[in-house]
Amino acid sequence: MKNLITKIIFFLGLVPIISSGQISQKVWYDGNSRAMFYRDALSGNLKDIDTTSTRSEGEGYTAIDLGMHFTPNDEIEIFSEIRIKNDFGYMWGSGAYVDLRRLSVKGILNDRISFNLGDMYLKQTAFTLNNFDQELSKYEPSVFQAYRDLIEYENFYLDNYWRMQGLQSNFSYTFYNAINSVEADFFASRVRGVEWLGEPELLMLGGTSLIKLENSLSLALNHVNAFEVQSSSLDTATYYNPVTNIQLKYAKKINSLTYRLSLDVGGSTRGWEKGDGTNIFETSGNFIKGKIKAVGKNIKSSLAFSYVDPNFRSAGAQSRRVNYISAPSSYAYYTNNTILRPVSLMDITTDPNIYNHRLSTSLMQYNTLYSAVSPYGEATPNRVGTSALFDYKNNDESILASADLAFFQEIIGQGTEEKRSLLSSGLSVAAHIDKMTPLKNKTVFEVSISSEGVTRGGSELESISFNSLLLSAGLSYELFKNLKLIGGIKSFSGKGNEVGAQRDEYDQVVGYELLDFDSKEEIMMLGLQYNFTNDIYFSLQTNQIEIDDKTSDIAQLSLSRIYFMFNMNL
Amino acid sequence: MKKLSYLFLTITLIFISCDKEGIEGPSLNDLFGELNILEDFAIINDSATFNNESAYFTAKFSKIVDWKISIIGQSSGAEKIILGKSNEINATNSLWSGEVTTLPFFKEENCSVLLTFPNHSDSIYGTFKINEAKTYGNGSELVVSDFENGFNPNFTNFFQSTCLKKIETGDAGQSDRYLVQEGTCDWDWLIGYIDYPASHWFDQGVLNANPDNVYFNMMINGDSTLSPTNEANSLFKLEFYEDENQDGYYDQNTEDRLEVEFDVDWNGWKMVSIKYSDLILAWNSGGNAIREPNKILKIRTLLLANPESGFAKADVDYIVWSEGSAILNQ
Repeated sequence: MKNLITKIIFFLGLVPIISSGQISQKVWYDGNSRAMFYRDALSGNLKDIDTTSTRSEGEGYTAIDLGMHFTPNDEIEIFSEIRIKNDFGYMWGSGAYVDLRRLSVKGILNDRISFNLGDMYLKQTAFTLNNFDQELSKYEPSVFQAYRDLIEYENFYLDNYWRMQGLQSNFSYTFYNAINSVEADFFASRVRGVEWLGEPELLMLGGTSLIKLENSLSLALNHVNAFEVQSSSLDTATYYNPVTNIQLKYAKKINSLTYRLSLDVGGSTRGWEKGDGTNIFETSGNFIKGKIKAVGKNIKSSLAFSYVDPNFRSAGAQSRRVNYISAPSSYAYYTNNTILRPVSLMDITTDPNIYNHRLSTSLMQYNTLYSAVSPYGEATPNRVGTSALFDYKNNDESILASADLAFFQEIIGQGTEEKRSLLSSGLSVAAHIDKMTPLKNKTVFEVSISSEGVTRGGSELESISFNSLLLSAGLSYELFKNLKLIGGIKSFSGKGNEVGAQRDEYDQVVGYELLDFDSKEEIMMLGLQYNFTNDIYFSLQTNQIEIDDKTSDIAQLSLSRIYFMFNMNL
Repeated sequence: MKKLSYLFLTITLIFISCDKEGIEGPSLNDLFGELNILEDFAIINDSATFNNESAYFTAKFSKIVDWKISIIGQSSGAEKIILGKSNEINATNSLWSGEVTTLPFFKEENCSVLLTFPNHSDSIYGTFKINEAKTYGNGSELVVSDFENGFNPNFTNFFQSTCLKKIETGDAGQSDRYLVQEGTCDWDWLIGYIDYPASHWFDQGVLNANPDNVYFNMMINGDSTLSPTNEANSLFKLEFYEDENQDGYYDQNTEDRLEVEFDVDWNGWKMVSIKYSDLILAWNSGGNAIREPNKILKIRTLLLANPESGFAKADVDYIVWSEGSAILNQ
């Protein structure tokens, strides 16, 4: 720790000296700052029933992420971000941490080839490398922005990119013939380092080649390969998982609408190989997705068909954000039996510590209650079906509406020849009431509904009937300039039965868990938010959280929370 | 545009029309379904002469299930267990040629047959008659002693004054009679020993010279419940003396002694089978270190026990040499 601080001071001191010695060098700074505090208190009946948990608990911290950009010349930029964090409740630095949060070098070679070393954000397609959104986050009202910003920032979630470390390079050439341009992007990343007597080192190599033709047609080849290095461990077998995705895209404008057709075809192989070259286990699976999208001034809609083989495996595209094998920050253990509290809507919405940062070589656990239809995003194996999206906005953008509908079916039955039918749908409306009415203060009302349903026929044992519903609403009313009164609710309910699959180390289904759900969860919030800018704000709010699992006598939680956050992104 | 649309649609439909055969994972019905007997449990050939016949069982279930057929001799107490996991019992998975799982050997007797399911409470009962019990061996076996004619006085032996050996009738491992060895000796590890001279089996035939092909078999009856600590208290040692120069004597300076010892940590009869090539050369053995079963002079069986731990017991029966495999596998 002391050593790190010394290095940081040395680095901070040295950089301006270097920069002042050469006229073309520049150093500039940016950064983010956050102060967060919350306090939870047991409420409702639980306060009387649970006599072993503390009546209230909470924590908070102040953190500054200081970003430093050093450009020794026009082609190179060195970036480092140092976090200085101080937990509330400590003195004289005992609860303070200094960490290197990000470090990267990027530049351009000969004005043609760009490169990036160190920390980088990577994304390809939904089947090769994609950090798909967490469950229960679709159409989330903006009044929950403070929580969402915290989760995404702390977990390095930038859109659907995975944050990784390694080397990335890309270049493009423009032509003046049938081929408009050729673009190429390559990366080499170290997903998991060497562990003493542990798992082998895990690397991922990948690349994209894109050819754009003059007739609005483009062809892309995406390939990633995640593999363990045999020589880096005493393990007798190492993992490999190459995935390839060929994309064909075509765009054409007809009248006022631009149509985009896309076709994704590809496949994966995943297995474990011994040192002598023999395979212990290997599976292969294909996928295909066809999509037509129409974009106009006020509407955007798409219709897609997809098929993902039951044996399709992609570490880059199927790794989940929510890690269900983790302890929540708030009341991790509860009830008089002091049991570990399962991850719930509250934790998914508010707790950054239950999220995963790293690609997983196996299908991660998920909770059917919250994610029954596509637990592994678009790359969820054993799905065939169709999906449609529709977005609308009126001319003054006072009304924004979105709707989606997806219907899938299993390709192969799980434990039975009967196949699941899976339906998900959603509708969201955001209304800027001040634009529609004489009201002068900015007022935004958002409401959304998302539902999932799973059915399966057959005998009493085989049949499944499960439905879940997430209702969200938010209201933001500007009391005076930049100060808003915010209120919102997320209400989730799930009821029915499902059959959870138990998988072995190779992700093969080896057993089942008969599940019954009858659960209702709510987060209600009311507070104030002051926006200095869009990215600089403070939010003070009170939350009421209710969890009631009717299938269990003890799985209930009722919390009252006070939450404060100051957020500054520069 | 139109051609591309058709292309996209066609390729998509081709994939979508793909349907996988079978199911993913084990059958739900097998794991959680109710067990129903679709075809009654039946014993095909409800009696058998096991020297040239066999029997098998049939049944059909509504799911793949672990099942267990127990055949218990009503007179001998011998038990044969057949285990399986299937939704059908038939000749391929339940054929029985009279072998035993838990000694003693079956006799000519009536047997109880019980079909049970470890994970279900259901059980089905039946009966079976053994007209003639199976005889073990492939024709090359040499019997050292089965004690049916009593204890051979030519078997030299020594037992401590507080210990005994005696022939008992009833509850034998094989046939009717067996040798009891038991007692308490609080001053010495030795309870007693018996020498079995090779002349008593070599007059029946010769033993194969290949030690990988020769097995020594012996039924031993342990009973730890008689020990004061209710724990295994008997140590059994086997010594094989080779007469390498065939002069009719054993000389430890020039000839080999092979041995093996083990705890008698079981209750009831058990067949102990040892391949001759697995025997260990005694520390003071002075011979050619080649295991030569055809040159054995005598076998000595020793019953030992810790003097401090009290009573020890290890009865013996049906001592026999076999060739090719252990006697129970023949």
